[in-house]
Amino acid sequence: MKKILFAVLVMTSVWTNAQEVTSDTVKTESVDTLKTVDINQLKESVDDHSMKLAGFEEKFSAVESVVNELSKIKVSGYIQAQYEMYDSWASDGTQHGVLVTGSAYEDNSFYIRRARIKFTYKPIDGVNFVLQPNFEAHQVTLKDAFVQLNDRWLNTFSLWVGQFNRPTYEIEYSSASREFAERTLMTRTLYPTERDQGAKLEADFVTNFEIPLKLQFAVLNGNFGEGALANQAKDVDNGKDIMARAVYSLKFPSKGLGIDFGAHTYLGNTTVIAQTTPTPTVFSDVNNNSFTPNVGDKMKKELFGAEVQMYYDFLGGLSLKGEYIRGTYSGTTNTAQVNTLFNANKVRNVEGYYVSLVKNVGKVNEVSLRYDVFDPNTKLSGDGVKTKDDLKYNTWAFAWQYYFNDYIKVMACYTLPVNEKSLNAGADYIKDKHDNIFTLRLQARF
Amino acid sequence: MKTKNLKIAAILLVVMTVGFSFTTINKVTVKGSDTMVILSQKWAEVYMKKNPGASIQVTGGGSGVGLAALINGSTDIANSSRPIKSSEVEKLKARYNTLGVEIPCAKDGLSVYLNKANPVASLTLKQIGQIFAGKITNWKEVGGPDASIKLYGRESSSGTFGFFKDNVVKTDFSPTCQTLPGTAAIVNAVKKDKYSVGYGGAAYAEGVKDCAVKKDDKSPAILPTAATIKNHSYPITRYLYMYLKSKPTGETKAFVDWILSPAGQGLIAEVGYYPLK
Repeated sequence: MKKILFAVLVMTSVWTNAQEVTSDTVKTESVDTLKTVDINQLKESVDDHSMKLAGFEEKFSAVESVVNELSKIKVSGYIQAQYEMYDSWASDGTQHGVLVTGSAYEDNSFYIRRARIKFTYKPIDGVNFVLQPNFEAHQVTLKDAFVQLNDRWLNTFSLWVGQFNRPTYEIEYSSASREFAERTLMTRTLYPTERDQGAKLEADFVTNFEIPLKLQFAVLNGNFGEGALANQAKDVDNGKDIMARAVYSLKFPSKGLGIDFGAHTYLGNTTVIAQTTPTPTVFSDVNNNSFTPNVGDKMKKELFGAEVQMYYDFLGGLSLKGEYIRGTYSGTTNTAQVNTLFNANKVRNVEGYYVSLVKNVGKVNEVSLRYDVFDPNTKLSGDGVKTKDDLKYNTWAFAWQYYFNDYIKVMACYTLPVNEKSLNAGADYIKDKHDNIFTLRLQARF
Repeated sequence: MKTKNLKIAAILLVVMTVGFSFTTINKVTVKGSDTMVILSQKWAEVYMKKNPGASIQVTGGGSGVGLAALINGSTDIANSSRPIKSSEVEKLKARYNTLGVEIPCAKDGLSVYLNKANPVASLTLKQIGQIFAGKITNWKEVGGPDASIKLYGRESSSGTFGFFKDNVVKTDFSPTCQTLPGTAAIVNAVKKDKYSVGYGGAAYAEGVKDCAVKKDDKSPAILPTAATIKNHSYPITRYLYMYLKSKPTGETKAFVDWILSPAGQGLIAEVGYYPLK
């Protein structure tokens, strides 16, 4: 019985082992199958992802080429929205403010001073296309439109063709950066609307030769900013005016001091392109003597200027800037050529200058003071001045700027023009006319 | 009672003000050159350990990005691996009425990376310039095998790009030069591609070989080593700069002074660059 029982137990154990072995074989086969299935699935998945990746790569290269093209276009701009108060009185004290339309006077106003967008397209290194319109409530005007070609061999010369700023310091210093609400009367009168059409060659010797000298030479139509807009689209008198400017920069890094100084000249003419009939228009010369020019006669427009800008790192930034211009200037009331700030048929010896002091206070505040003088007729003074357009002006401007950040700043600017007094230039100018302006400006740029 | 409360409040206010004035964290932000990020972070790390009240925040982005941040006021210090451009100085003048302050803080050599399997070992500066300008396109033109040259370079916001362009290429880079984000990416690409060439900081050349550079045909070929970069005999050496809007004050001044001190300069070699002296 024991033997039988033992035999049964042995059989059972053998059977059990055999079962286990059978079971193992099945398991091994399952794992192998599973492995094959897994590898196939993995391969499919990898293939699938590879195809998706290739698809994305294709899409990405298409997008990349578009982005590369778009990155050649830069868009920037700024808006200056302001509130102005005019302290302006008629001589008899009856009218306060500035004339708007008809007999309406206003002494305060909200005003969009500038709203500009600048597009710069750089198709290849060394070539820039620049377009900058200015949006006004009633019109859109073109401020800059030029092609700039930079030399790729010496990295020194650049040629500008189109419409661009005339080369003087105050004009080229951007309105978005300027510390005062407006440019000086001198610059606004002698270079109306700042720009002109023509070609300009610039040479900057600092990049390649490490000589801090910049030279500019421009040939211009000479009539931009004068007369009706339609007349500014092309030259009206066939003659071209010339401008040249040179600036040299000195640096004293150990003292935190930098001095830029330079000079410029404007050599041009005002051509008489029409005369009134039957009685020809009479002009006055630099000595205030009358003369009657013929059509085609040229009257001098020759200016010579000097400039200096000093930057000093004293408890933060400090700058002292000045410019002086003198020469002979001419104008006409002909509607095709009239300069509204030099609004007479005349030739005059003119002189002007300004000095400005700007101090940064901490990281976000800046205070500024400017004194500027413009004499549109150096040969006459006091009661000898017979028209208001020949009066000399000394103007003070005080400003404070607060930078919220790089994009937004607030400016408060108070401008006090002080006119030369004359008994013969109109009732308003027997004493200093009340014509101060307060400007509170918010500027946003991008 | 009210008076007593007021007195307690006033005393608390004074105590808190005094306390906070001592525990105020003086934050200095540093932004710019990717080449200088590791070095700058090392400086910041050690400086903050020594000065627990100080907080130095370092970020990269490229020299151009750092200088733009300095101009727009979002950083105190701009790191740059190239000198500031005159156009950037003009922007500083317009916004801050200063010329900016330039502080050279270390020296670096720009290495031309070659694959280890590439038989070419040395090139003249002119040849390197022509290779990256796309005027030399095959290795056989410079004594190597008949194989096309694959170019790798940095993006245009990088100071390394600017320095290499101004001092070596001297014209536009070839349009076939593939831009990669960072020197490490260039090293990796050259490591994998036998007939490629790239450029970047000498300290990054791991797994690739440095090309020995000749000033001209007659000059000896010089490898970028500590000695040749320090004594400027290696032709592509440069300073690494920190730029500030105006003379530093407070914590910024303390940090800058420390960087220029033996303690700060002593850390430069640890991250693969070279001290000023």
